[in-house]
Amino acid sequence: MRIEAIGCEPLQLRRVHLENSRSLDVYRANGGYEALKKVLDSMSPDDVINEVKKSSLRGRGGAGFPTGMKWSFVPKDSPKPKYVVCNADESEPGTFKDRYLMERDPHMLIEGMLIAAYALGARTNYIYTRGEYKYLIDIMDVALDEARAAGLLGEKILGTNFASDVYTHTGAGAYICGEETALLSSLEGLRGHPRMKPPFPAVSGLYACPTVVNNVETLTAVPDIIKMGGEAYQKLGTEKSGGTKLWSVSGHVNKPGVYELPMGYDDMEKFIMEDCGGILGGKQLKAVIPGGSSVYIMRADQIIGKDVRMDYEGLVAAGSSVGSGGFIVMDETVDVFESTKNLTEFYKHESCGWCTPCREGTDWLVKVFKRIDKGGGRPEDAQLMLDLCDNIEGKSFCPLGDAASWPIQSAIKRFPEDFKRRLQANGDHST
Amino acid sequence: MSTQITQIQPLSQPVELGVEPATFSPEVEAEIDRHLAKYPIIRSAILPLMFIVQRERGYLDPPGVLYLANRLKLRVTDIWEVATFYSMLHTAPIGKYHVQVCRTLSCKIMGAGKVTEHCSKKLGIKVNETTADGRFTLSEVECLGSCGTAPMMQINFDYHENLTPEKIDQVLDALP
Amino acid sequence: MATELVKVTINEKTFDVPKGARLIDVCRQNGYDIPSFCYYSDLALQASCRMCLVRIEKMPKLQTSCTITVTDGMVVTTQSEEIEKAQRGMNEFLLANHPLDCPVCDRGGECELQEMTFDWGGLEERFTEEKNYYPEKYLSPMVANDQQRCILCKRCTRVCDEWMGEEAIEAGGRGAHTVIGTYMGWLDCSQCGNCIEVCPTGTLLDATYRHQTRPWELAQTISTCNFCSDGCQMSLGSRGGELMRVVARDRYVNGINGEFLCVKGRFAHPFVNHEARIRTPLIRYKKGGKLIPATWDEAIRHVAERLDTIANDHGRNAIGVVGSPRLTNESLYTLHRFATELVGTDNYTVADAFSLKSFFANLGAPLATHRDIRNAKTILLIGGEPEELQPLTGKQIRQAVRNGGAKLVVANSVRIRLTEQAAAFLHIRPGTEDAIVLALADEGTSSLAAQKTGLETKDIDAAREILANTAGDVVVMFGGELSREAQAILAQLTFAAEGQRVLFHPLPLFNNSVGALDMHMLDGAMTASEMLDACGSEIRAMYVAGSFLPQHLEGREDALAKLDFLVVQELFETETTATADVVFPAASYAEQDGTFTNNDGLVQRVRQSIPPLHQAKADWIILAQLAKELGLDFGYEFAPTSVFRSIAENIPAYSGLRYPLLKDESQPVQARYNIGQTDVSEALTAVRGSVEALANEGDKIFGTPKVGHELFKIGNLTDKVPQFHLLASGNPRPETTAISPLYQITVK
Ligand SMILES: Cc1cc2nc3c(=O)[nH]c(=O)nc-3n(C[C@H](O)[C@H](O)[C@H](O)COP(=O)(O)O)c2cc1C
Ligand code: SF4
Ligand code: FES
Repeated sequence: MRIEAIGCEPLQLRRVHLENSRSLDVYRANGGYEALKKVLDSMSPDDVINEVKKSSLRGRGGAGFPTGMKWSFVPKDSPKPKYVVCNADESEPGTFKDRYLMERDPHMLIEGMLIAAYALGARTNYIYTRGEYKYLIDIMDVALDEARAAGLLGEKILGTNFASDVYTHTGAGAYICGEETALLSSLEGLRGHPRMKPPFPAVSGLYACPTVVNNVETLTAVPDIIKMGGEAYQKLGTEKSGGTKLWSVSGHVNKPGVYELPMGYDDMEKFIMEDCGGILGGKQLKAVIPGGSSVYIMRADQIIGKDVRMDYEGLVAAGSSVGSGGFIVMDETVDVFESTKNLTEFYKHESCGWCTPCREGTDWLVKVFKRIDKGGGRPEDAQLMLDLCDNIEGKSFCPLGDAASWPIQSAIKRFPEDFKRRLQANGDHST
Repeated sequence: MSTQITQIQPLSQPVELGVEPATFSPEVEAEIDRHLAKYPIIRSAILPLMFIVQRERGYLDPPGVLYLANRLKLRVTDIWEVATFYSMLHTAPIGKYHVQVCRTLSCKIMGAGKVTEHCSKKLGIKVNETTADGRFTLSEVECLGSCGTAPMMQINFDYHENLTPEKIDQVLDALP
Repeated sequence: MATELVKVTINEKTFDVPKGARLIDVCRQNGYDIPSFCYYSDLALQASCRMCLVRIEKMPKLQTSCTITVTDGMVVTTQSEEIEKAQRGMNEFLLANHPLDCPVCDRGGECELQEMTFDWGGLEERFTEEKNYYPEKYLSPMVANDQQRCILCKRCTRVCDEWMGEEAIEAGGRGAHTVIGTYMGWLDCSQCGNCIEVCPTGTLLDATYRHQTRPWELAQTISTCNFCSDGCQMSLGSRGGELMRVVARDRYVNGINGEFLCVKGRFAHPFVNHEARIRTPLIRYKKGGKLIPATWDEAIRHVAERLDTIANDHGRNAIGVVGSPRLTNESLYTLHRFATELVGTDNYTVADAFSLKSFFANLGAPLATHRDIRNAKTILLIGGEPEELQPLTGKQIRQAVRNGGAKLVVANSVRIRLTEQAAAFLHIRPGTEDAIVLALADEGTSSLAAQKTGLETKDIDAAREILANTAGDVVVMFGGELSREAQAILAQLTFAAEGQRVLFHPLPLFNNSVGALDMHMLDGAMTASEMLDACGSEIRAMYVAGSFLPQHLEGREDALAKLDFLVVQELFETETTATADVVFPAASYAEQDGTFTNNDGLVQRVRQSIPPLHQAKADWIILAQLAKELGLDFGYEFAPTSVFRSIAENIPAYSGLRYPLLKDESQPVQARYNIGQTDVSEALTAVRGSVEALANEGDKIFGTPKVGHELFKIGNLTDKVPQFHLLASGNPRPETTAISPLYQITVK
């Protein structure tokens, strides 16, 4: 599996291939904790937030919300303690970038979190990692101990009056706990149900205190932003989508892996066919899900010869979105009915069960998929599925409901033949 | 006497739980204390503590649940409500080795089905079954973040990636 | 306090509504029906059923009106094609896995899902797949559970948590496999059954009423509970002279308790039709002989003669008259007249646990209603254990704290469960409650009180601080631990603070303890215990309407046997009837009209749900007949209304009251007690004396009493309900929960 930068200098991936890249020494020897020092020596919290605003960094967790703006929502005057929580739940199908960032360069995350903690005045910070990534939690704990021993955590950080600490926390197997408010419920020791917004976490989050939740990749971008300055970082990408982005590439390509591309990388076709080594076994490209399972699926002909620009605006224009950057490539052998069934089963399994449309809707949809799969398809099923999706989308308590309907809606629209084939199938075996 | 808000013992537990709370070695207790120390509110430690109890006792058995309730100052039903929400926590016995094959899209199109099949044949159990000797439980799980190294499986906490039938045999045979 | 108004436009009409009001309420109040399952006012917001969707201008996608607070200029649409489709869609989702077994469902006919489906549901059923299946089971002797029907509105878990503070029932599992339940599937709690009451579907069911009638076969009669002094309003469901079930479901009833009832109010009613009821008058012709059925005429004549001779031989004061605090005002009032006007004895009383006489005699501020408690800013609870003895009060306190942010100050010798909510808990030595009252009335005694109660002075000062700094309502509650003098002092308590109002909430034990006081039944010369001690000496005959309490008879088991003549009016044979010479069959609360007065001083109606069983008669009728026989006509023409009119004419606090004024339980009427300054200086000296006399050390009681330790106690009435015997014996988890837990005991 490849881990490399293409079309730009490696930024997030700068150290991943070094020997002992995890260790504090290697990290420091390669520019580590300089940004933190700069911040503590010469910048006010507001300076930090402004740099991040200038960088036009957008959240890498999936929602793509401007990070600087999110930080500026935290009420400065609030007497309550404040928290920075790193979202390392990485459960979006097709996404595995955070895993390698933490595995290869844990101190970059710690530095990013400390800078955020300084900007927001947080004394305590947590890294919420999905339970399956236990080995990453162990790696982070080692790194945190190193940092603590080196006076980079706790009281008097780098000899200044800045005091802050970072702790790991484990999830226990629930995709929904990647959703920031569900994550906070889970971190409080409750069932991982999402919470009502407003109030937003920035105002009332963990323990009802102001809290910023950021994805790993978002936080690891912060040290470079501080070092090179917000503008310089922004210029690496486009005006609206600053900097570089990690893409987790999987499926039928010769070179799957984690690729760092500048935002606005000019051509998705080139990316697939050249950078990722083309389609496995020289087969034809059939479909791509570019942003993790929760985005519209794209037909090959929406990509081939279309110069799809790889950034937030470009992908929306091309009929999908960046999401978490989980880039799933499917060749001609894939039956999109099957792949959609597979994802719907995922969403059914991961629906938290709080709200009616998602809980009952995904359960119903899976039952329909299974019936069709058994040969019980009916011509009206396509319409039924679209209508069920319509009754979920925009009406669920949290975005998981929407996420569950988009793959189905786009698949039925863009790959009608794969569904028709099943629906004309031999009569009704369902009852 | 205190005049702060009084945190008191669970008031409403199933009677006839009929067991004593589990007990652990000083080392484990120390480990538990370290987790409790991370949080301003003890309930936050529920997941880490559940993993420890599960590690020590195989699954969240009644004595373990009672222990957690007492340690976290919760009702046993609060433990149950949380434990049953998360797929990695088990309130029923489970095999010594939990073979979890990823079934989600990237793995599926890279041959997850064959992996499950092979494990199933080799272990002589269907998905969601446990071998008679209690050594293996076979499950299909959702995306584990190894899409780039698909197909894959996780045995307890260890990742095994880019699986081929031969590699699966090696891994399973190597288990103590 | 005038609330600020804002303009809201709903379906093109504009309304002025209070700022911060909830949109769903505003719409409903203005006649726009909005479907909902999970929304339940005064419970934590849930927003999970997604039925209450509306369109709000300038907002993306449909919004849940249960989560929106109105703002000025808000423009709302509640009816449109888009909204209707969404709501039909939700309803269809809810029905997808819901079994369509309404014909065999106990909730059929009063099921919100059923109604919603008729009003909002789609017409054709598109779900043709297999439904998820869960077996039916029992969660406790009181609660049956059919998981399949659950729509996960989580009202049950929220009432269990927010009303009861028990968190006994929770949601487990995830996604479509989420279920409501408990660890190990057995419900150990106070068994209030409020989860059943609020369940919109047939998921949680009254196990005592399982498959007995269809709701629409029941005649629903609104009445008042005959157990504790909270006086919950309830609907008695009867069919063919049998009381089948009790609910508070506020579609029928809209009383002080909303949908709340406790385990006794909801489940203890089967005593009414129990076969052990006394059926006819009984006469014991010779001491030690058997009670033999007799006719009414014979029994009445017999009693009249014997009372007459005893009065002549030993004087009128040799006849003691005792009433039960469970009787209606009508019966207690008549009993008082019977004692004073007819028998002419000074020795009459009520067999109650304690007397509130000196509290009411010194009442310095109004009584709190249960609504006042919910809205209180600070609550002071001295002694008592409302969560077990006055459960509605307990619930109101909990909600005042949890949902209303009130501060609770508890002074108790036991760490009762309510201390979970307490801002300050004064853990005092048993028997030192008076010292707390003293310290609150007179700062100078703080250190004395601290010494005697085993507290530190600062603890008491801290509590006083909270009280003194409360603007708004302070509700002062107290149990039976206080002495007469301490009651007087407490009744005059004030805590200097701006804009503060003090309200009192006494915690007597019985449904009509307060009424008994109002009817002057506590003006007699002796207490119940004194009267028992005088049996055979001063007291030669006794007329008891009801029975003595165990605590009266304890150590005095043979007292009643010493009497020449004992008459008892009862439902069942009790320790008191054991040596009675004549027993009259009395009618239960379900068989008569009347009134009870609760601990708010609310005079509430008791209504006849079924005709008197066998030959039973209301206590006041028996007395009136006996009086006639003895030559005195109370002039009631045997109508409860006329008894009540007489009450209204003779009892100042009840003047002007009439049954028609009491007909709407949603507008309860409070008796007008006179309130004013009284001189309690003597009481203060007395209490200081008694407090100084207390020991300086002594042990405290530790540990929290188990849920139900009072509620599940077997009394004369709960004894007739097999389920209570299971609860009393620790609610053991049966081998199987698939069949009724009753299989564990042989029902006599
Ligand atoms: C169903 C669902 C799952 C999510 N899973 C993740 C996740 O695994 N990791 C993540 O960083 N964000 C995830 N998010 C996004 C978070 O809610 C949140 O937007 C993000 O953590 C904010 O951080 P960012 O601004 O740095 O992206 C998820 C959102 C939803 C609705
Ligand atoms: S949409 Fe509803 S059920 Fe689905 S995950 Fe979000 S809250 Fe839970
Ligand atoms: S009532 Fe609003 S979501 Fe249920």
